[in-house]
Amino acid sequence: MGRIPQAFRKVAAQSPVSTLLKAKTSSVLQEEKAPPLVPHLQRKKNFSQKKPFAKNDSAAKTTVPSFFFESANLSDAKSLFNSFISSTTDAPSEPSFYNSILQSFSSVSSVQDSIFFLNHMVKQHPPFCPNRFTYHTLLKQACSSADEQSLSGVHNVLNLMTNSGFPPNQVSTDVAARALCECGREEDAVELVKELSTKNSLPDTYTYNFMVRHLVKKRSVSSANSFINDMKDFGINPDLVTYTIMIDNVCNTKNLREAMRLLRVLSEKGFKPDCYVYNTIMKGYAHLSQGGDVLGVYKRMLDEEVVPDHITYNTLIFGLSKSGRVKDAKKFLQVMTEKGHTPDAITYTSLMNGMCREGDALGALALLGEMERKGCSPNSCTYNTLLLGLCKGRQLNEGVKLYEMMKKCDIKLETGSYGTLLRALCRQGRVAEAYEVFDYAIESKSIPDIAAYSTLESTLKWLKKAREQGLVV
Amino acid sequence: MLPQRLKKAVTDNPKKVASLIDIVNLPTMLRDFMGQSQSSQLSCFKRVWGYIKDNNLQDPVNRNVVNCDPKLKSILLGKSTIDLTELPPMIKLHFPKQPGS
Repeated sequence: MGRIPQAFRKVAAQSPVSTLLKAKTSSVLQEEKAPPLVPHLQRKKNFSQKKPFAKNDSAAKTTVPSFFFESANLSDAKSLFNSFISSTTDAPSEPSFYNSILQSFSSVSSVQDSIFFLNHMVKQHPPFCPNRFTYHTLLKQACSSADEQSLSGVHNVLNLMTNSGFPPNQVSTDVAARALCECGREEDAVELVKELSTKNSLPDTYTYNFMVRHLVKKRSVSSANSFINDMKDFGINPDLVTYTIMIDNVCNTKNLREAMRLLRVLSEKGFKPDCYVYNTIMKGYAHLSQGGDVLGVYKRMLDEEVVPDHITYNTLIFGLSKSGRVKDAKKFLQVMTEKGHTPDAITYTSLMNGMCREGDALGALALLGEMERKGCSPNSCTYNTLLLGLCKGRQLNEGVKLYEMMKKCDIKLETGSYGTLLRALCRQGRVAEAYEVFDYAIESKSIPDIAAYSTLESTLKWLKKAREQGLVV
Repeated sequence: MLPQRLKKAVTDNPKKVASLIDIVNLPTMLRDFMGQSQSSQLSCFKRVWGYIKDNNLQDPVNRNVVNCDPKLKSILLGKSTIDLTELPPMIKLHFPKQPGS
């Protein structure tokens, strides 16, 4: 699904490698799944011509003459290209090479100049014949200009594509939609997708779900809903993933009633809710600390014969711990193991969190030992949870020991555990040690200096007050 | 859920954040100590605390107390010893609230 970071997608959409592997246009589906498979070495090579300030350019090793277009000036670019073509006898023949040159130039220039530059390359070096990716580079550039108000630039490129024998297809829709959404032009993206739909390049499910997810996240549920409704006219109906996206969103806004309604709608439409849907709803309840409902979702899963995965159990244990039902949570740790899922750091951390909330900080510390015995290595969140629990549970000495160990292993502090540790130390009059913790927080870049300092300042202020009232020695 | 809280804590009070990181003209005695004419409250604090550590000014018996050397004395109201608890408010004295800001 569209969970792949943009950087990867860019590689997939533009990387010549995929052109080489799958003659001409790869379908969006392949494109979606391809990225992690792209051979690393080749990608490096191809990226060496990429824009000079690209994220990946640290990896750039120039094997072929590199093109770094520092100026957006068209004639400079032209002469650079000319000098390259005239200087070399065996210019690469595959279009991918020229595509990356174009891509590099397009990252600094305007759309119009890029088009001129493309024409120039074709004219100067006839062996190069632009392919679909060439035009997608232009399309992406046209969609990425954030300050543009209309879609006219995009239309120009689309017309150019049609005239060059590459009428926009699903991939074009996908490239355009993602580029537009990326720079905050969601409305334009919706408009363009609808428009392209009328021209027979319907978005596929990935583009569609990407749009829905983006609209829900960046705009509003209603905008997503109206998009879904409009797309129904083109025969595209929400699928299970779409519903999961919507449910996830309403769960994040704590509107569980709407989530349950969507779950009903989903069943009515003939979809069978899967593990992801239930996990999402369970997460919603867990965040609201409604342990009973979390269990309810789990029971429902079992009734519907959906097999819980380890995320289900993690969510379950998290939810139960959060709502204070540590006993039940421990029981599910057992169940989880029996079902063949190995508890991970998240499982244990949730459980420790629950135990600390109950005031059983030492029990949580014991769990750390058990966890390590079972070969599960704790992460920084585990340590921070424990540190906070120990300091809150008046086990300062244990807490300080843990802190020293964290310091040795360069584990960062979190705001919560940092503040709690400071307060606990100051309460015992160990101000100098609190200062050292402050030093460590800054040195390890755990939290911003300002936050670290203002916590220290307010803690000391509180200490002074407490001393005046005779509460602390 | 946690990131939200985290974000809130830092940007809780923009005025307070500004008072810590805004660079202001230092009073004369601080200028001599800091070796620069402009600084923020936060970096001034860090400098003073660093100075204490570098020169081992913490009392060997009670590390919560600092025995000021003449240079430190000059910026901390002439006190010969100071509790670490007092340090932030002392620094703050040199950074009075600016009218209208």
